[in-house]
Amino acid sequence: MINFILRRIVQTMIVIVILSYVCFGLMSLMPGDPVELMISANPKITAADVARLRSFYGLDQPVYKRYFNWVSDIATGDLGYSRTYRIPVEEMMGPALGYTFILSITTLLFSFAVAVPLGIISALRPNSRIDYTINLFNFAGISMPSFWLGLVLIIIFAVKLKWLPASGFQTTGMEYDTYWDEFVDKGKYLILPVLSLSIQSIGRFSRFTRSSMLEAMRNDFIRTARAKGLARNVVVWKHGFRNALIPLITIAALSLSSVFSGALITETLFAYPGAGRLIYSSIMGNDYNVAMVSFLISVSMVLIMNLMADLLYGVVDPRVSYK
Amino acid sequence: MKSTNIISAFIAVSAITFVVGASGCIKKTKKKAETTTEATTAASTDATAAAGAPKLNNSELKIGMSQEFENFNPLIATMNATTIMSKLAMRDLVTIDADGKWVPQLVKSIPTLDNGGAKIVTVGGVKKIEAVWEILEAAVWGDGKPITCDDAAFAIKVASAATVSVGEKEVYTQVEKVTADPANPKKCTFLYDKAKWDFYQLGTFHILPKHLEEKIFNMYGAENGGYEKNSLYTKDPYNVGLYNGPYILQEIQLGDHVTFIPNPKWWGEPPKIKKIIFKYLPNTGTLESNLRSGTIDLISTLGYSLDQALAMEKKVKAENLPYTVLFQPSTVYEHIDLNLDNPFLKDIKVRKALNYAMNREELVASLFEGKQQPAVHNVTPKDPWYTDDPSKIVIYKYDPRMAEKLLDEAGWKMGPDGIRMKGGKKLTFTLMTTAGNKTRELVQVYLQNKWKQVGIEVNTKNEPARVFFGETTKKRAFDSMALFAWVSSPENTPKSTFLSTNIASAKNGWSGQNYMGWVNKKVDKLLLDLDVEMVHEKRKAIIAEVLKYYTDEVPVLPLYYRSDVAVIPNQLKNYRLTGHQFPETNEVEKWTLE
Amino acid sequence: MEQEVLTAEKKNVDPNTSSTLSKAQIAEMEKVQSLTKIIYSQFREHKAAVVGAYTILFFILVAVFAPVIGNVLGVDSESQNVFARYKPPFSRISVAMDVREEMVKKYMANNPDEADVVAKELIKEDFVTTKQPADALYEWSHYEKRKAMAAIRLLNIDADTKVELRNLAKRFETFHIFGTDELGRDAFMRLIYGTRISMGVAVLVAIASSLIGLLIGALAGYYGGVIDSLLMRVTDALISLPTIPVLIVVAAIDLQKIPGVSSILSVGNESILKLVFILCIFSWMTVARLVRGSILTLREREFILASKTLGATDYTIITRHMFPNVLAPLLVSVTLGVGDSILFEAALSFLGLGIQPPTPSWGNMLFNAQELIYEAPTLAIIPGLLILFVTISFNYVGDGLQDAIDPKTIKR
Repeated sequence: MINFILRRIVQTMIVIVILSYVCFGLMSLMPGDPVELMISANPKITAADVARLRSFYGLDQPVYKRYFNWVSDIATGDLGYSRTYRIPVEEMMGPALGYTFILSITTLLFSFAVAVPLGIISALRPNSRIDYTINLFNFAGISMPSFWLGLVLIIIFAVKLKWLPASGFQTTGMEYDTYWDEFVDKGKYLILPVLSLSIQSIGRFSRFTRSSMLEAMRNDFIRTARAKGLARNVVVWKHGFRNALIPLITIAALSLSSVFSGALITETLFAYPGAGRLIYSSIMGNDYNVAMVSFLISVSMVLIMNLMADLLYGVVDPRVSYK
Repeated sequence: MKSTNIISAFIAVSAITFVVGASGCIKKTKKKAETTTEATTAASTDATAAAGAPKLNNSELKIGMSQEFENFNPLIATMNATTIMSKLAMRDLVTIDADGKWVPQLVKSIPTLDNGGAKIVTVGGVKKIEAVWEILEAAVWGDGKPITCDDAAFAIKVASAATVSVGEKEVYTQVEKVTADPANPKKCTFLYDKAKWDFYQLGTFHILPKHLEEKIFNMYGAENGGYEKNSLYTKDPYNVGLYNGPYILQEIQLGDHVTFIPNPKWWGEPPKIKKIIFKYLPNTGTLESNLRSGTIDLISTLGYSLDQALAMEKKVKAENLPYTVLFQPSTVYEHIDLNLDNPFLKDIKVRKALNYAMNREELVASLFEGKQQPAVHNVTPKDPWYTDDPSKIVIYKYDPRMAEKLLDEAGWKMGPDGIRMKGGKKLTFTLMTTAGNKTRELVQVYLQNKWKQVGIEVNTKNEPARVFFGETTKKRAFDSMALFAWVSSPENTPKSTFLSTNIASAKNGWSGQNYMGWVNKKVDKLLLDLDVEMVHEKRKAIIAEVLKYYTDEVPVLPLYYRSDVAVIPNQLKNYRLTGHQFPETNEVEKWTLE
Repeated sequence: MEQEVLTAEKKNVDPNTSSTLSKAQIAEMEKVQSLTKIIYSQFREHKAAVVGAYTILFFILVAVFAPVIGNVLGVDSESQNVFARYKPPFSRISVAMDVREEMVKKYMANNPDEADVVAKELIKEDFVTTKQPADALYEWSHYEKRKAMAAIRLLNIDADTKVELRNLAKRFETFHIFGTDELGRDAFMRLIYGTRISMGVAVLVAIASSLIGLLIGALAGYYGGVIDSLLMRVTDALISLPTIPVLIVVAAIDLQKIPGVSSILSVGNESILKLVFILCIFSWMTVARLVRGSILTLREREFILASKTLGATDYTIITRHMFPNVLAPLLVSVTLGVGDSILFEAALSFLGLGIQPPTPSWGNMLFNAQELIYEAPTLAIIPGLLILFVTISFNYVGDGLQDAIDPKTIKR
């Protein structure tokens, strides 16, 4: 087991290194560079200016050289500077990551809190009216474009009803006396983004809970457990739900991979200063260091989540063996 | 392991990430300026509580914009959002006002050859210009230190260093030497390297506080990018000594907002509004809801598209909302560059036919409700160089029959499917532009239809802006037509786009901006003469001649001049849009909500 | 099939059957049903799935017969009227003069003799002010629809010409059920053509990507070891690649430059093919992981071990024993994949990388409309709703199929 984990960690590291090179290469393959973005806005910039700026940013060097420079900086713990803001990358990434984590974890927890009970209810009463209703809701959730829902939510709750703010992450210029004040204020701004982000995952999780619950409840050992006279709760939770967890864990782990790119559109729509928006603007603005670091973080996180999912597979399902 | 343990393990992992994230953001919000005492007493309005009809007063103004702020170091900042914000806190020697005139800001007056402030001198056989710039007595930095010639000289020194990434360098390097009057450190004599007529146009010449920044430049200046990373504008942006405008910085929340409060040391007209917040709202679709819910009070020029502004104007009228929608013709020139290497476009008759077949008047009337002006050429109507005199230049009125006549003459005969043919080839072009730009896509489809009526087939192909500008136009990789805009300023020489030496090619590292491939030796000569022509009327004549060739040879199809739009609350007074690169915030101290 | 029928017949004539049952009943009971029949009858029991299937069928018909619908309604998806932008639903709009003139021009070119007669008649009856026969029809075309029709009725010309001219005059005014968009195009027709693009792209992507995913997932799950590690690391790598940066890069590639590709591409469909390609690259991994996960557990099951010991080849085991068992999750993924692809197309359009205008797709229509969602909400709401309907339908059909295929749910 430990051997397996170690091997997987090593594998994961190798993948991260390879991917980082691929991504670095892809980014440098992208047409245009920071200098071009500058010229397109200012016709007064001369050819000499362009050549000077290009060598300033090291853009005249081949990709592998630039990659090597970047890696050796990273190895020494220097994440580099943002080209646009001229501040260290960690200073930018820190808060943005924080906001995104809050957003995605809240979304994930909220989705689970809603989806798992829904899924179990419909699985325990298959083909009942309540099952159909929940199913319709799930399908509607999965089928909804999240930015469309976001817009509709803004129109309803921010414009028409004026209950919630349309965008941002806190009331501008607000000073907080207590942590509670801060929590309430920031929470208010989270509601609409979380709703629009989670509708899809609620549908998805609930569906998966239902189908894997149904699958699990159909097993022979459930029948045995029931025959043994075990309490219904015990049968459902200990035997049924435990087995239903396997696919759920996969889905949960995989859905964290969308932390960056998945929340991007929502973050843009709600002007939420998270990592998704940062990675997008850093790529559009050709801010290499920021883009590469956020890329690395997102890749590592997903790979670690996948590793965890695989390990948990073995824990919950003893039939899966690690060789 | 039991299933419950798994769940709790999972929750624990989430909880850890949550805490890590939360601590990160709390740290950032606690980072505030020490000089906030004055402003924090001002009532901070709750966004949701203020919903409904906004009741504004001079305690706060919240401006929404769709572009993000980057860095306040005036030498490095390039984005429009930063320019708009920085004029609250930083002023330059001169600027162009809302009427399109050059006006002094930090100096007493603008030196000219006529008023004796400047003179032509000959140094070592080269004609040069010497001009005297006298900085205002009262002008001081935010920490009370006087602004002197040293600050200008220091800015030149920094901008000239190879380790600093200044975009437009020439505005600094053209000044060879700055000498201060021994008796008056505020009276500076600039020696320019060439006798160019536009020596006084120093709108993008930004000074730096030498007393704060010099030690940093000395310490890190040798390292590539070292100065800009360690500049106080980056490391300590709340240092009041960095600013010389009516406002100083109170708070920066990257990706969300930037807050300004009045500068207590400001010497000019005292600002009326006690707090100005720039809020970043990347999705323009949500601007209106933010305005209505009171999250912002004003939509800046970096916000609405023209379509949105037109719709907003109608709504303001219909619902009697307390806002005004402003439209200001700007110096942004939308046009189509024709690739003159295209075999069909080599024929001047085809180019003229394209020009005759487009109805610019109808285009602006129907698509823009007349809020943008049809273009004649690259010089905008507000520019002193503008001319639409038919005796000087060629004017193209919508004339589809003329277009068809020209095409017939050029040998393009109408084919059975309504597309003209010659030698078995169809008259087909590809019109490219930036994807996602609604207005351009609108114009594209409109033109497609117009040209189809005279038998020219035009397909569209759109690319993301960075591909379009980074590859397609830069390497002249567009097959026939590229629709985009040039940003210019009044009396801007079109050398970079017209000179035949500026045709982008692999040889010059794709650095020119003559994307058309237009070669006209006479124009080349005229433009070089223009640089050293000191008399305004003569310069006007030169430009008129250039424009004659430009309109006659049609290397470019002019479309329209773009308008800047903004939505302001009716209460806000003295807010004037400029329509050029020097933003409305140069007059921010006059704004009032009372 | 044939064999089954034969066996059924044989059983029918079996003399040993119990005499208490009628022959027909026995036939019913003992008929060996084919798998597809069982699936079909099971599927029929899932009401929502049936409704979904009909909805999909409806949209497919709409997509296939888009040009016919356009002809019947007398509007097409491309003709624009810049003077009638953002009109509300149920608007009647007068067609721009230059478009009318073009119609008349075409008519005159095709029927020069009749046109001449009509023009002279128009002048004779004083319906037009001009005395030039060449201009008469043009002037007539500037009349509003009703007046133009009335004029035709009073003219002394043959019936065929009248019909033709009346058809022409009918097109002087257009009716827009869902109003018009930012270029004054008919929103309804664009939605219909958008159905073609959006559904076509989504179905293509879902099928292609699940085939890739099935193959890779099966190989990885069954063989394990190095192959598994290698394939799953590739899958992990792709799944963890932040899609947007890669999409930006891929969008930058000019497909026209690749030799051989240029012949099948025209400017119009390039963005569509590119989108299909991009979406395929980034949507097979989930399927692969699901398939692999199922096969990983199946591999340890007794019946697989049994067939292995009996000497079944890997191919047989995978296709005969494992695929039926992964079919259900796969079908769920395919159906979810269709919806996902539709949603993904909309999301890409949000970044300006989706289907390029003027080709309509639900995604780019939704995107185009969201800027002015307060002024013309129908333009944003309807594509959103269509996306919702079609995706729900696909999901229900998938659900129904899952129930029907899964051997454990078959009621006996």
